[in-house]
Amino acid sequence: MTVREQYTPGPASGAQVRKDGEKWTLVLVRDLRHSPEKVWQALTDPAHLREWAPFEADGSLGTVGTTAKLTTVGTPTPQVSESTVTRADAPKVLEYNWGAQDIRWQLEAFGGGTRLTLWHNIDRRFISMGAAGWHICFDVLDHLLTGTPIGRIVGREAMKFGWPRLNSEYAKQFGIETPNRPSQAAQES
Amino acid sequence: MKIKMTSVYVDDQEKALRFYTEILGFAKKADFSQGPFRWLTVASPEEPSGTELQLAPNNNPAAKAYQQAIFQQRQPAAMFFTDDVKGDYERIKARGAEFTMPPTDVTGSTIAMLNDTCGNLIQLTQLARYSR
Repeated sequence: MTVREQYTPGPASGAQVRKDGEKWTLVLVRDLRHSPEKVWQALTDPAHLREWAPFEADGSLGTVGTTAKLTTVGTPTPQVSESTVTRADAPKVLEYNWGAQDIRWQLEAFGGGTRLTLWHNIDRRFISMGAAGWHICFDVLDHLLTGTPIGRIVGREAMKFGWPRLNSEYAKQFGIETPNRPSQAAQES
Repeated sequence: MKIKMTSVYVDDQEKALRFYTEILGFAKKADFSQGPFRWLTVASPEEPSGTELQLAPNNNPAAKAYQQAIFQQRQPAAMFFTDDVKGDYERIKARGAEFTMPPTDVTGSTIAMLNDTCGNLIQLTQLARYSR
C-alpha cells in the first residue's frame, strides 16, 4: 500500500468555534514540525498550495494588495472567486478573502516548529464540514512539509479518507446537527 | 446514462431555497459547502429520488449574462410538469408568487409561467394527454 492509501485521519481535535451572533468562525490550531518560513511558503505559493489546499490559486498569496483567482477543487462544479490579500506579514500573519468568507492564518514559532492557527468564518450549517476538510488538508500539508507528499485530498476524494466521520465528530463537538451529506448524484458528478 | 439533475442559476441561494421549498413546495435534497462553493438541490416530494434541481449561484459573469438574456426574452429557465396546472397555479399564487402567465392552452399542453424572484421565469406544464 502507498502512504496515501494507508492514510487515516486521527480523531477530531484542535478546533473551536467562535460565535458572534449569527457569524460563526472556525478556529483550527495545528502544530507542525517545520519552520514558519517553510509553512509560509506552503500557504502562499501556488505550486505548494496545489499539493494540499482545497483550492487552486492562479498567483502567489504572499504579497499584500495582490489579487488571485481561487478555484475550488473536488467540488461538483468549480467555483472561481477573486481573492485579495489584505495582510501578508511574512512569516507571521496572512489574510485574504475566499469568496465572501475571510481566511486568516497565524504562524508562531513553537517548540522548534510552527503553531499554525486558521480563522475561517463559515456558515454555521457548514462549519463542521469545513473543520473536517481542513483537518485532512492539514494532515496532507504535514506530509508535504516532511518531504513525503501524499497528494491533495479534497472534495469527493476526502469521502474515502474519513471525512464523514470527522464531520460527525466536529458537529458533535460544536453542538450542531450533522448537516446533510452530499447526494448520490453530487458524488457521482 | 440517466438524467438525474438539472440546474437553474439563482441570484441568492438562501432566497432560492425558501422560494423553491416554501412557495413551490419542493423539498431540500442536498446541501453542502466547500469554501465559497455551495451545492444545493431540491427534489419533488412526489418523487424524492427523482431528478434533482440544483440551485446554482449565478456569481460568474457568463451565468449572469445568460440568465438575464433569457429572462428578458421571457423564456423559462426551467419547466416543471404537473398533472394539475390550474390547481398548482392557485396554490402557488395564494402563497404570494407572481405569475407572468396564467394557465394557458397551447399546442399539446396547458402552461403557466411564474417569476421565481431569483432571476428566472419558471414554466409549469400540463401535457394535454394527462387532461380529462
